[in-house]
Amino acid sequence: MPRNLQITLAILAVAVIIGLISLRGLQNHVKRLAQTTTTEEQARRDLLKPSTSSPTDVPAEAKIFWANGPEQIVPIRVVLPLSAEPVKRARQLIDALILQPPTPEQRTLPDDATLLGFYILPDGTAVADFSDTLSTGTPSGILSEMQAVNSIARTLESNVSSLRRLKILIHGQEVDTLAGHVDLTGFFDLNSSMPAGLPNTPGGVSLPTSQPAPTAEPPTPSPAAKHPR
Amino acid sequence: MIVIDPAHGGTDNGAQGPNGTVEKDVVLRLARQIRSDFERQGFRVVLTRNDDSNPSYEDRAALANAYRDAIFISVHVSSTGKVGTAHVYSYQFPSPAASGDAGVSETPKSLITWEEAQRPYLDVSHRLANLLEVELSQRFPGSALISTPFAIRELRSVSAPAIAVELSSISVPDPNMLVAMGAPLSNALVRSVQMLRPGNPLSRNGSSMKTQVAGAN
Repeated sequence: MPRNLQITLAILAVAVIIGLISLRGLQNHVKRLAQTTTTEEQARRDLLKPSTSSPTDVPAEAKIFWANGPEQIVPIRVVLPLSAEPVKRARQLIDALILQPPTPEQRTLPDDATLLGFYILPDGTAVADFSDTLSTGTPSGILSEMQAVNSIARTLESNVSSLRRLKILIHGQEVDTLAGHVDLTGFFDLNSSMPAGLPNTPGGVSLPTSQPAPTAEPPTPSPAAKHPR
Repeated sequence: MIVIDPAHGGTDNGAQGPNGTVEKDVVLRLARQIRSDFERQGFRVVLTRNDDSNPSYEDRAALANAYRDAIFISVHVSSTGKVGTAHVYSYQFPSPAASGDAGVSETPKSLITWEEAQRPYLDVSHRLANLLEVELSQRFPGSALISTPFAIRELRSVSAPAIAVELSSISVPDPNMLVAMGAPLSNALVRSVQMLRPGNPLSRNGSSMKTQVAGAN
Protein backbone atom coordinates (compact mmCIF):
# COMPACT_ATOMS: atom_id res chain seq x y z
CA MET A 1 0.00 0.00 0.00
CA PRO A 2 1.44 3.42 -0.91
CA ARG A 3 2.75 5.44 1.99
CA ASN A 4 0.51 8.42 1.17
CA LEU A 5 -2.60 6.26 1.33
CA GLN A 6 -1.46 4.82 4.66
CA ILE A 7 -1.02 8.28 6.11
CA THR A 8 -4.43 9.37 4.77
CA LEU A 9 -6.11 6.32 6.26
CA ALA A 10 -4.37 6.87 9.58
CA ILE A 11 -5.53 10.52 9.66
CA LEU A 12 -9.05 9.47 8.79
CA ALA A 13 -9.05 6.84 11.51
CA VAL A 14 -7.86 9.38 14.07
CA ALA A 15 -10.54 11.82 12.88
CA VAL A 16 -13.25 9.17 13.24
CA ILE A 17 -12.09 8.32 16.77
CA ILE A 18 -12.06 12.00 17.74
CA GLY A 19 -15.50 12.41 16.16
CA LEU A 20 -16.92 9.49 18.12
CA ILE A 21 -15.51 10.83 21.37
CA SER A 22 -16.92 14.29 20.62
CA LEU A 23 -20.29 12.83 19.69
CA ARG A 24 -20.50 10.99 22.98
CA GLY A 25 -19.64 14.17 24.85
CA LEU A 26 -22.23 16.07 22.85
CA GLN A 27 -24.88 13.49 23.65
CA ASN A 28 -24.10 13.73 27.36
CA HIS A 29 -24.29 17.51 27.14
CA VAL A 30 -27.72 17.35 25.47
CA LYS A 31 -28.92 14.94 28.14
CA ARG A 32 -27.67 17.27 30.85
CA LEU A 33 -29.45 20.21 29.21
CA ALA A 34 -32.70 18.26 29.00
CA GLN A 35 -32.42 17.34 32.67
CA THR A 36 -31.76 20.95 33.55
CA THR A 37 -34.91 22.05 31.67
CA THR A 38 -36.99 19.47 33.48
CA THR A 39 -35.52 20.52 36.76
CA GLU A 40 -36.27 24.17 36.08
CA GLU A 41 -39.85 23.33 35.11
CA GLN A 42 -40.23 21.23 38.25
CA ALA A 43 -38.69 23.95 40.37
CA ARG A 44 -41.10 26.48 38.96
CA ARG A 45 -44.02 24.21 39.67
CA ASP A 46 -42.82 23.58 43.20
CA LEU A 47 -42.30 27.28 43.78
CA LEU A 48 -45.66 28.37 42.41
CA LYS A 49 -47.75 25.56 43.73
CA PRO A 50 -48.76 26.12 47.33
CA SER A 51 -49.88 23.20 49.41
CA THR A 52 -53.48 22.56 48.46
CA SER A 53 -54.44 21.03 51.74
CA SER A 54 -54.59 22.60 55.15
CA PRO A 55 -55.76 21.51 58.60
CA THR A 56 -58.88 23.63 58.27
CA ASP A 57 -60.10 21.76 55.17
CA VAL A 58 -63.20 19.71 55.76
CA PRO A 59 -64.35 16.67 53.79
CA ALA A 60 -67.06 17.79 51.42
CA GLU A 61 -68.86 16.35 48.46
CA ALA A 62 -67.72 17.79 45.12
CA LYS A 63 -68.90 17.25 41.57
CA ILE A 64 -65.95 16.58 39.27
CA PHE A 65 -66.59 16.36 35.54
CA TRP A 66 -64.76 13.45 33.97
CA ALA A 67 -65.21 11.76 30.61
CA ASN A 68 -67.96 9.30 29.95
CA GLY A 69 -66.87 7.94 26.61
CA PRO A 70 -65.01 9.98 24.01
CA GLU A 71 -67.74 12.58 23.60
CA GLN A 72 -69.27 13.19 26.99
CA ILE A 73 -68.38 14.53 30.37
CA VAL A 74 -70.49 13.77 33.39
CA PRO A 75 -70.39 14.94 36.99
CA ILE A 76 -69.15 12.35 39.44
CA ARG A 77 -69.62 12.94 43.13
CA VAL A 78 -66.49 12.53 45.21
CA VAL A 79 -65.66 13.45 48.79
CA LEU A 80 -62.58 15.67 49.06
CA PRO A 81 -60.98 17.73 51.79
CA LEU A 82 -61.96 21.17 50.54
CA SER A 83 -61.09 24.64 51.70
CA ALA A 84 -63.76 27.26 52.22
CA GLU A 85 -61.44 29.79 50.59
CA PRO A 86 -62.38 29.98 46.86
CA VAL A 87 -58.85 30.09 45.37
CA LYS A 88 -57.59 27.19 47.42
CA ARG A 89 -60.83 25.28 46.85
CA ALA A 90 -60.55 25.77 43.08
CA ARG A 91 -56.95 24.51 43.11
CA GLN A 92 -57.96 21.44 45.08
CA LEU A 93 -60.73 20.72 42.59
CA ILE A 94 -58.53 21.06 39.52
CA ASP A 95 -55.84 18.94 41.15
CA ALA A 96 -58.45 16.26 41.76
CA LEU A 97 -59.68 16.57 38.18
CA ILE A 98 -56.16 15.93 36.91
CA LEU A 99 -54.96 13.37 39.43
CA GLN A 100 -57.98 11.35 40.51
CA PRO A 101 -60.05 10.20 37.53
CA PRO A 102 -61.87 6.98 38.49
CA THR A 103 -60.33 5.20 35.49
CA PRO A 104 -57.72 6.21 32.89
CA GLU A 105 -60.46 6.22 30.25
CA GLN A 106 -62.31 8.93 32.16
CA ARG A 107 -59.35 11.29 32.08
CA THR A 108 -60.03 14.64 30.38
CA LEU A 109 -56.69 16.35 31.04
CA PRO A 110 -53.15 15.02 30.52
CA ASP A 111 -51.85 13.29 33.64
CA ASP A 112 -48.71 15.42 33.63
CA ALA A 113 -50.60 18.70 33.35
CA THR A 114 -50.08 20.97 36.33
CA LEU A 115 -51.99 23.97 37.57
CA LEU A 116 -49.20 26.50 38.02
CA GLY A 117 -51.34 29.31 39.34
CA PHE A 118 -54.92 30.19 40.08
CA TYR A 119 -56.32 33.62 40.76
CA ILE A 120 -59.75 35.16 41.18
CA LEU A 121 -60.28 38.76 40.15
CA PRO A 122 -62.81 40.98 41.94
CA ASP A 123 -65.32 40.64 39.08
CA GLY A 124 -65.43 36.86 39.50
CA THR A 125 -62.99 36.08 36.69
CA ALA A 126 -61.00 32.94 37.44
CA VAL A 127 -57.54 32.81 35.88
CA ALA A 128 -56.12 29.29 35.65
CA ASP A 129 -52.49 29.06 34.59
CA PHE A 130 -51.50 25.57 33.43
CA SER A 131 -48.17 24.04 32.49
CA ASP A 132 -47.27 23.56 28.81
CA THR A 133 -48.23 19.92 29.13
CA LEU A 134 -51.92 20.82 29.14
CA SER A 135 -51.43 22.11 25.62
CA THR A 136 -48.95 19.52 24.34
CA GLY A 137 -50.69 16.55 25.97
CA THR A 138 -54.26 17.24 24.87
CA PRO A 139 -55.05 15.38 21.65
CA SER A 140 -55.49 17.78 18.73
CA GLY A 141 -59.14 18.07 17.78
CA ILE A 142 -62.22 20.15 18.51
CA LEU A 143 -63.91 17.33 20.39
CA SER A 144 -60.98 16.51 22.67
CA GLU A 145 -60.05 20.12 23.35
CA MET A 146 -63.66 21.04 24.08
CA GLN A 147 -63.93 18.12 26.48
CA ALA A 148 -60.81 19.30 28.31
CA VAL A 149 -61.99 22.90 28.64
CA ASN A 150 -65.53 21.88 29.57
CA SER A 151 -64.32 19.56 32.29
CA ILE A 152 -62.36 22.41 33.89
CA ALA A 153 -65.16 24.95 33.47
CA ARG A 154 -67.94 22.68 34.68
CA THR A 155 -65.96 21.43 37.67
CA LEU A 156 -65.20 24.99 38.79
CA GLU A 157 -68.73 26.17 38.10
CA SER A 158 -70.32 23.37 40.08
CA ASN A 159 -68.21 23.80 43.18
CA VAL A 160 -67.18 27.46 43.42
CA SER A 161 -70.29 29.57 43.10
CA SER A 162 -68.55 32.95 43.13
CA LEU A 163 -66.89 32.42 39.75
CA ARG A 164 -68.38 34.12 36.70
CA ARG A 165 -65.94 33.37 33.88
CA LEU A 166 -62.74 31.49 33.24
CA LYS A 167 -59.53 32.50 31.53
CA ILE A 168 -57.01 29.78 30.73
CA LEU A 169 -53.31 30.63 30.44
CA ILE A 170 -50.49 28.33 29.41
CA HIS A 171 -47.24 28.85 31.31
CA GLY A 172 -48.30 32.34 32.28
CA GLN A 173 -49.08 33.41 28.72
CA GLU A 174 -52.26 33.93 26.75
CA VAL A 175 -52.15 31.51 23.82
CA ASP A 176 -54.20 31.33 20.65
CA THR A 177 -55.56 27.82 21.11
CA LEU A 178 -55.37 24.87 23.46
CA ALA A 179 -54.07 22.40 20.86
CA GLY A 180 -54.95 24.00 17.56
CA HIS A 181 -58.70 24.48 17.76
CA VAL A 182 -60.32 25.83 20.91
CA ASP A 183 -59.84 29.58 21.25
CA LEU A 184 -58.11 30.50 24.51
CA THR A 185 -57.83 34.22 23.80
CA GLY A 186 -61.22 34.84 25.35
CA PHE A 187 -63.16 33.76 28.40
CA PHE A 188 -65.48 30.88 29.17
CA ASP A 189 -68.71 31.63 30.95
CA LEU A 190 -69.25 30.10 34.37
CA ASN A 191 -72.43 30.04 36.42
CA SER A 192 -74.34 31.80 33.68
CA SER A 193 -77.80 30.78 32.57
CA MET A 194 -77.44 28.48 29.60
CA PRO A 195 -79.50 29.32 26.51
CA ALA A 196 -81.99 26.58 25.75
CA GLY A 197 -80.80 24.21 23.07
CA LEU A 198 -77.12 25.00 23.45
CA PRO A 199 -76.07 22.24 25.81
CA ASN A 200 -72.45 22.02 24.82
CA THR A 201 -71.57 25.56 25.74
CA PRO A 202 -69.54 25.94 28.90
CA GLY A 203 -72.92 25.69 30.58
CA GLY A 204 -73.59 22.21 29.18
CA VAL A 205 -72.05 18.88 29.90
CA SER A 206 -72.74 16.42 27.16
CA LEU A 207 -73.01 16.19 23.43
CA PRO A 208 -76.32 15.42 21.78
CA THR A 209 -76.17 12.08 20.05
CA SER A 210 -78.72 9.92 18.38
CA GLN A 211 -77.50 7.08 20.59
CA PRO A 212 -77.40 8.56 24.06
CA ALA A 213 -74.90 7.04 26.43
CA PRO A 214 -75.71 6.49 30.08
CA THR A 215 -74.62 9.24 32.39
CA ALA A 216 -73.56 9.10 35.99
CA GLU A 217 -75.75 12.07 36.71
CA PRO A 218 -77.91 13.27 33.81
CA PRO A 219 -77.86 17.00 33.29
CA THR A 220 -81.09 18.92 33.55
CA PRO A 221 -82.96 18.22 30.32
CA SER A 222 -83.27 21.07 27.92
CA PRO A 223 -86.49 21.42 25.94
CA ALA A 224 -84.58 21.74 22.68
CA ALA A 225 -82.01 19.04 23.33
CA LYS A 226 -82.91 15.68 24.70
CA HIS A 227 -79.40 14.29 24.39
CA PRO A 228 -76.94 16.90 25.62
CA ARG A 229 -73.23 16.65 24.84
CA MET B 1 -68.86 32.08 -2.67
CA ILE B 2 -68.19 28.92 -0.72
CA VAL B 3 -64.86 29.05 1.14
CA ILE B 4 -63.69 25.55 2.04
CA ASP B 5 -61.00 25.48 4.70
CA PRO B 6 -58.94 22.30 4.98
CA ALA B 7 -57.53 22.71 8.49
CA HIS B 8 -53.83 22.55 9.41
CA GLY B 9 -51.15 21.99 6.75
CA GLY B 10 -47.40 22.43 6.46
CA THR B 11 -45.63 21.54 9.68
CA ASP B 12 -48.97 21.35 11.47
CA ASN B 13 -50.19 17.79 10.87
CA GLY B 14 -53.29 18.12 13.04
CA ALA B 15 -54.55 14.83 14.43
CA GLN B 16 -52.28 11.86 13.77
CA GLY B 17 -53.47 8.30 13.33
CA PRO B 18 -51.76 5.10 14.34
CA ASN B 19 -50.93 4.18 10.76
CA GLY B 20 -49.25 7.45 9.91
CA THR B 21 -52.44 9.05 8.64
CA VAL B 22 -52.40 12.78 9.27
CA GLU B 23 -55.38 15.08 9.44
CA LYS B 24 -53.91 17.72 7.11
CA ASP B 25 -53.82 15.28 4.20
CA VAL B 26 -57.25 13.79 4.80
CA VAL B 27 -58.98 17.17 5.07
CA LEU B 28 -57.32 18.45 1.90
CA ARG B 29 -58.63 15.45 0.03
CA LEU B 30 -62.09 15.94 1.53
CA ALA B 31 -62.03 19.65 0.70
CA ARG B 32 -61.29 18.96 -2.96
CA GLN B 33 -64.19 16.55 -3.11
CA ILE B 34 -66.51 19.07 -1.45
CA ARG B 35 -65.36 21.74 -3.91
CA SER B 36 -66.25 19.52 -6.86
CA ASP B 37 -69.72 18.82 -5.52
CA PHE B 38 -70.45 22.49 -4.86
CA GLU B 39 -69.19 23.47 -8.30
CA ARG B 40 -71.44 20.88 -9.91
CA GLN B 41 -74.36 22.66 -8.25
CA GLY B 42 -73.26 25.99 -9.70
CA PHE B 43 -71.55 27.46 -6.66
CA ARG B 44 -68.27 29.35 -6.87
CA VAL B 45 -65.76 27.77 -4.53
CA VAL B 46 -62.35 28.70 -3.20
CA LEU B 47 -60.05 26.70 -0.89
CA THR B 48 -58.03 28.40 1.83
CA ARG B 49 -55.20 26.08 0.84
CA ASN B 50 -54.80 23.69 -2.05
CA ASP B 51 -51.40 22.29 -1.12
CA ASP B 52 -49.37 21.45 1.97
CA SER B 53 -49.19 25.06 3.15
CA ASN B 54 -50.50 26.31 6.48
CA PRO B 55 -52.13 29.74 6.18
CA SER B 56 -52.60 31.54 9.49
CA TYR B 57 -56.04 31.81 11.06
CA GLU B 58 -56.06 35.43 9.96
CA ASP B 59 -55.17 34.59 6.36
CA ARG B 60 -57.93 31.99 6.18
CA ALA B 61 -60.46 34.46 7.58
CA ALA B 62 -59.20 37.23 5.31
CA LEU B 63 -59.85 35.09 2.26
CA ALA B 64 -63.48 34.62 3.26
CA ASN B 65 -63.83 38.26 4.25
CA ALA B 66 -62.75 39.37 0.79
CA TYR B 67 -65.98 38.09 -0.75
CA ARG B 68 -69.53 39.26 -0.39
CA ASP B 69 -71.99 36.57 0.63
CA ALA B 70 -69.32 34.04 1.45
CA ILE B 71 -69.96 30.93 3.50
CA PHE B 72 -66.95 29.56 5.38
CA ILE B 73 -66.69 25.82 6.03
CA SER B 74 -63.70 24.51 7.97
CA VAL B 75 -63.08 20.77 7.67
CA HIS B 76 -61.42 18.75 10.45
CA VAL B 77 -60.80 15.18 11.56
CA SER B 78 -60.75 14.52 15.31
CA SER B 79 -58.26 12.58 17.41
CA THR B 80 -61.06 11.06 19.45
CA GLY B 81 -64.76 10.35 19.18
CA LYS B 82 -66.93 7.57 17.85
CA VAL B 83 -65.60 6.37 14.52
CA GLY B 84 -67.91 7.22 11.63
CA THR B 85 -69.67 10.16 13.26
CA ALA B 86 -69.50 13.88 12.57
CA HIS B 87 -69.96 17.01 14.66
CA VAL B 88 -70.66 20.54 13.54
CA TYR B 89 -69.68 23.71 15.39
CA SER B 90 -70.40 27.40 15.15
CA TYR B 91 -68.56 30.09 17.12
CA GLN B 92 -69.56 31.18 20.58
CA PHE B 93 -68.40 34.34 22.29
CA PRO B 94 -68.61 34.64 26.06
CA SER B 95 -71.88 36.23 27.07
CA PRO B 96 -71.61 40.04 27.36
CA ALA B 97 -73.43 40.01 30.68
CA ALA B 98 -70.90 37.63 32.20
CA SER B 99 -67.85 39.18 30.65
CA GLY B 100 -68.78 42.78 31.13
CA ASP B 101 -68.01 43.43 27.48
CA ALA B 102 -70.25 45.77 25.60
CA GLY B 103 -70.53 43.34 22.73
CA VAL B 104 -71.50 44.24 19.20
CA SER B 105 -74.97 44.92 17.95
CA GLU B 106 -76.63 42.19 15.93
CA THR B 107 -77.03 44.70 13.11
CA PRO B 108 -73.84 46.73 13.22
CA LYS B 109 -73.93 50.06 11.46
CA SER B 110 -70.21 50.68 11.21
CA LEU B 111 -66.87 48.98 11.69
CA ILE B 112 -66.44 45.99 13.92
CA THR B 113 -63.16 44.69 15.22
CA TRP B 114 -61.30 41.88 13.50
CA GLU B 115 -61.45 39.79 16.68
CA GLU B 116 -65.24 40.10 16.75
CA ALA B 117 -65.92 39.70 13.03
CA GLN B 118 -68.01 36.57 13.51
CA ARG B 119 -70.31 38.13 16.10
CA PRO B 120 -72.93 39.56 13.68
CA TYR B 121 -73.18 36.16 11.98
CA LEU B 122 -73.60 33.96 15.05
CA ASP B 123 -77.27 33.35 14.40
CA VAL B 124 -76.98 32.43 10.74
CA SER B 125 -73.85 30.38 11.42
CA HIS B 126 -75.64 28.46 14.13
CA ARG B 127 -78.59 27.88 11.84
CA LEU B 128 -76.36 26.56 9.09
CA ALA B 129 -74.56 24.34 11.61
CA ASN B 130 -77.86 22.88 12.78
CA LEU B 131 -79.05 22.27 9.23
CA LEU B 132 -75.83 20.42 8.50
CA GLU B 133 -75.90 18.45 11.73
CA VAL B 134 -79.38 17.16 10.91
CA GLU B 135 -78.20 16.11 7.46
CA LEU B 136 -75.10 14.43 8.88
CA SER B 137 -77.00 12.59 11.61
CA GLN B 138 -79.01 10.92 8.84
CA ARG B 139 -75.87 9.86 6.99
CA PHE B 140 -73.62 9.04 9.93
CA PRO B 141 -75.63 7.26 12.66
CA GLY B 142 -74.48 8.18 16.15
CA SER B 143 -73.68 11.74 15.18
CA ALA B 144 -74.98 14.67 17.17
CA LEU B 145 -78.54 15.78 16.58
CA ILE B 146 -77.83 19.46 17.00
CA SER B 147 -74.68 21.48 16.46
CA THR B 148 -72.48 22.86 19.19
CA PRO B 149 -71.57 26.51 19.66
CA PHE B 150 -68.05 26.76 21.02
CA ALA B 151 -65.00 29.02 20.75
CA ILE B 152 -63.36 27.51 17.67
CA ARG B 153 -60.46 29.79 16.82
CA GLU B 154 -60.67 29.47 13.05
CA LEU B 155 -64.21 30.86 12.97
CA ARG B 156 -63.77 33.95 15.14
CA SER B 157 -62.57 36.47 12.58
CA VAL B 158 -64.69 35.34 9.67
CA SER B 159 -67.11 38.03 8.58
CA ALA B 160 -69.58 35.57 7.07
CA PRO B 161 -71.60 32.55 8.13
CA ALA B 162 -68.93 30.16 9.37
CA ILE B 163 -68.98 26.59 10.63
CA ALA B 164 -66.51 23.84 11.40
CA VAL B 165 -67.28 20.19 10.74
CA GLU B 166 -65.18 17.46 12.35
CA LEU B 167 -65.25 13.81 11.35
CA SER B 168 -64.36 11.11 13.87
CA SER B 169 -61.74 10.00 13.88
CA ILE B 170 -58.16 9.77 12.68
CA SER B 171 -57.83 6.52 14.67
CA VAL B 172 -59.80 4.54 12.08
CA PRO B 173 -58.01 1.30 11.21
CA ASP B 174 -58.22 2.11 7.49
CA PRO B 175 -57.84 5.74 6.32
CA ASN B 176 -60.10 4.94 3.37
CA MET B 177 -62.97 4.89 5.87
CA LEU B 178 -62.49 8.64 6.31
CA VAL B 179 -62.22 9.22 2.58
CA ALA B 180 -65.43 7.24 2.13
CA MET B 181 -67.17 9.72 4.42
CA GLY B 182 -66.35 12.46 1.91
CA ALA B 183 -69.25 11.86 -0.49
CA PRO B 184 -72.03 11.90 2.13
CA LEU B 185 -70.36 14.82 3.89
CA SER B 186 -70.16 16.76 0.67
CA ASN B 187 -73.75 15.98 -0.22
CA ALA B 188 -74.92 17.07 3.23
CA LEU B 189 -72.99 20.33 2.96
CA VAL B 190 -74.48 21.19 -0.41
CA ARG B 191 -78.00 20.48 0.82
CA SER B 192 -77.50 22.53 3.98
CA VAL B 193 -76.18 25.55 2.11
CA GLN B 194 -79.04 25.32 -0.37
CA MET B 195 -81.53 25.25 2.51
CA LEU B 196 -79.89 28.31 4.07
CA ARG B 197 -80.18 30.45 0.94
CA PRO B 198 -82.67 33.32 0.91
CA GLY B 199 -86.03 32.22 -0.39
CA ASN B 200 -85.77 28.78 1.10
CA PRO B 201 -88.52 28.25 3.69
CA LEU B 202 -85.94 26.89 6.13
CA SER B 203 -83.87 30.07 5.87
CA ARG B 204 -85.09 32.95 7.98
CA ASN B 205 -82.52 35.61 7.15
CA GLY B 206 -80.31 34.09 4.52
CA SER B 207 -76.68 35.02 4.47
CA SER B 208 -76.65 38.32 2.69
CA MET B 209 -75.45 40.35 5.67
CA LYS B 210 -72.00 41.79 5.16
CA THR B 211 -70.20 44.10 7.50
CA GLN B 212 -67.04 46.10 7.21
CA VAL B 213 -64.31 44.59 9.33
CA ALA B 214 -61.62 46.69 10.95
CA GLY B 215 -58.14 45.61 11.81
CA ALA B 216 -57.69 42.97 9.12
CA ASN B 217 -54.08 41.97 8.78
